[in-house]
Amino acid sequence: MDASQIIFFLSAALILVSALFVVTARNLVHAALWLIATLFGVAVLYVLLEAGFLAVVQVVVYIGAIAILFIFAVMLTRRDLLSQSSQTNANWPVALGVSALSLAAIAFIARGFGFSLDRPLAPVPTDSLERLGQALVSPQQFVLPFEVASVLLVAALVGAVYVAMNKK
Amino acid sequence: MTITDFSVILPVTLLTAWASILLLAELFLPRAQRPFLALLAALGLALTLGISLAQSAQEFAPGFGGMVVRDGFSNFLNVLFLLTGLFGVALSYRYNQRAQIERGEYYPLLLFSVAGMMLMGQAADLIVVFLALELLSFPLYILSAFAYPRPQSEEAGLKYFLLGAFASGFVVYGIALTFGASGSTDLARIVASVAAGSANLPLLTAGAGLLLVGFGFKVAAVPFHMWTPDVYQGAPTSVTAFMAAGAKTAGFAALLRVFGAAFPALAADLSPLMAILAAVTMLFGNLIAVAQTDMKRMLAYSSIAQAGYLLMAFAPFEIEAARTMAVAGALFYLLAYTLASFGSWGVVIALEKDLDRHLSIGDFAGLARRSPWLAAAMTVFMLSLTGLPPTLGLVGKIYLFRAVIEGGMVWLAVIGALTSVVSAFYYLRIVVNMFMREGEPAVEREWWLEFAIGAAAVVTVVVSLWPFPLFEWAEWAVMKLF
Amino acid sequence: MIPLSWYLYLSAALFAIGLYGVLARKNAIAILLGIELMLNAANINLVAFWRYTDPAQMAGQVFAIIVFAVAAAEVAVGLSLVISIYRARKTVIADELDLMKW
Repeated sequence: MDASQIIFFLSAALILVSALFVVTARNLVHAALWLIATLFGVAVLYVLLEAGFLAVVQVVVYIGAIAILFIFAVMLTRRDLLSQSSQTNANWPVALGVSALSLAAIAFIARGFGFSLDRPLAPVPTDSLERLGQALVSPQQFVLPFEVASVLLVAALVGAVYVAMNKK
Repeated sequence: MTITDFSVILPVTLLTAWASILLLAELFLPRAQRPFLALLAALGLALTLGISLAQSAQEFAPGFGGMVVRDGFSNFLNVLFLLTGLFGVALSYRYNQRAQIERGEYYPLLLFSVAGMMLMGQAADLIVVFLALELLSFPLYILSAFAYPRPQSEEAGLKYFLLGAFASGFVVYGIALTFGASGSTDLARIVASVAAGSANLPLLTAGAGLLLVGFGFKVAAVPFHMWTPDVYQGAPTSVTAFMAAGAKTAGFAALLRVFGAAFPALAADLSPLMAILAAVTMLFGNLIAVAQTDMKRMLAYSSIAQAGYLLMAFAPFEIEAARTMAVAGALFYLLAYTLASFGSWGVVIALEKDLDRHLSIGDFAGLARRSPWLAAAMTVFMLSLTGLPPTLGLVGKIYLFRAVIEGGMVWLAVIGALTSVVSAFYYLRIVVNMFMREGEPAVEREWWLEFAIGAAAVVTVVVSLWPFPLFEWAEWAVMKLF
Repeated sequence: MIPLSWYLYLSAALFAIGLYGVLARKNAIAILLGIELMLNAANINLVAFWRYTDPAQMAGQVFAIIVFAVAAAEVAVGLSLVISIYRARKTVIADELDLMKW
């Protein structure tokens, strides 16, 4: 077992354990904090996969913005936190069954996917960040999705402002 | 970037730009001039419709390195989506004034949603499919929650949002697996990698299955339908009308494009699944609809059942000869469904004098006397949804059933025919109420609404008498797809 | 050297945990947390496939970035809906939003 495998196992354990707490914690502030731990574990995986830029974006956007937004929302709706009733609905055994089943199905399919073992990995180009930037704005590649994503953000922003606005 | 690139996305670009300008226009319009925004929105949709029609004679063209295409399929759908948008504006215009939700954000959001639908029809890459799905959905979540301060509306928005976001989780995961299986998100390259034998087929099947779940939510197929009645009932009726037609058509556009073009290699695995999905959706939707007394919930279950009929188009994918006809039949049926759905929701709006009261089926009693034209139009829509002459619904159903039978799935066609008989019970019950029962329904008179209802009814009848040009258009539209 | 299938197992497990969260939780914010887990699972897959197939092609990373953007927009819209409902009803428990049955 080499160093990268040890790092993988540690971060996988972090991801899965904290994800379990995200979906089971009674206190939603704790759930949101556990989400940060999960997201951080995923960022470590990105580093392991030599996608350094994505790791940074994961920390800045996902942890820095999205997870914090969650914590804000939990705080703003804190009355629900005081209720001591169960946080799961009556269907939770069904939910458990469905998710176990989908895990089994996807894992079964992924099982045959070991092709990386028999050939060395292609090296990541040293200018991969440059390539990513180029790809995002090159007309022959991804400029259209990039622009559509910006339109999407405008629409979401307008909508969120309208909904959250105090209309009284 | 070339001229072709621009010309391919010209309609979408124009509509997006128009929506952005509309957002700003509200700032400069005094409050009393707000109704003007609806007119501006309609003008933008009409302009885009003009451009789409002008482009419809042009040849197949890919744009932006294969991200999007313009072909007969996308042209047909563009026209359908723009008509959906125009109907949506016509139905919203007075309703929003009555419901006091005439706010400047409404029409830009509606236009953004139409732009997302059009992009869905043109998408040739799974990344664009995903973005188009989100672009058409986000505005719909907001519009469902638009009718402040009615709590049902905000709840409908939240429910629709949670289910939609859940579905997009499936779509993203499915795209990720597809990407892993084939090494690309480009539909053409996925097909090529399958043909070359370099794709991992089990993984591709899993990806396709997850995509199917995600889009199953969008088109409200059983067992992914549970949000539909609540959202359709709670959202402002004008929004419900728009989403019942637009979101469903867009979901089917994506399914037809992705499953028709990229996954034919999986047809043997997927088509029994699709056939079962179609059968369950038809049975469940129609049987539950019979038990409904609330008009909006009945129409919601009816729209679930209609998704079942449309899903039949995917059943004969294994048979090469039936495939073209099935997809053309689905396009044809989508048009018939759009008209009938908008028409019937329009009649619901006309009868919704009191917005806080739930409209029940009994409220249609006596409509034939009070307002004979409205009753006649409603009869046309109910006949079309059932699949009875002289309406487009019948022609569309014949078309779909024939494709299914040629695909060798007679049992599915039999289920389709039997459930159509069941559906006659609840659709025609409304007709009976309108013509045979006494009652004093309150009817809202409004010119744009009546115009939209009338136009939908006239087209539904007239085109059904001479449907051949539309047939040819639909068949031409799918020619390049395979 | 980590086999690709390990990443796929991990991501499948994360997806399943998120799925459980969405289906079993009552609170709307908690449901949204589950959806975030599902999106992250998909992103792990995307980046792993990018690394293990052809890292010179950036499609996998680009899609991951698009998913970031969409997730951010989704959270903004979702939390604004949640807060707006909370203001009116003082609850975001999905079970209790029962004007219409859930």
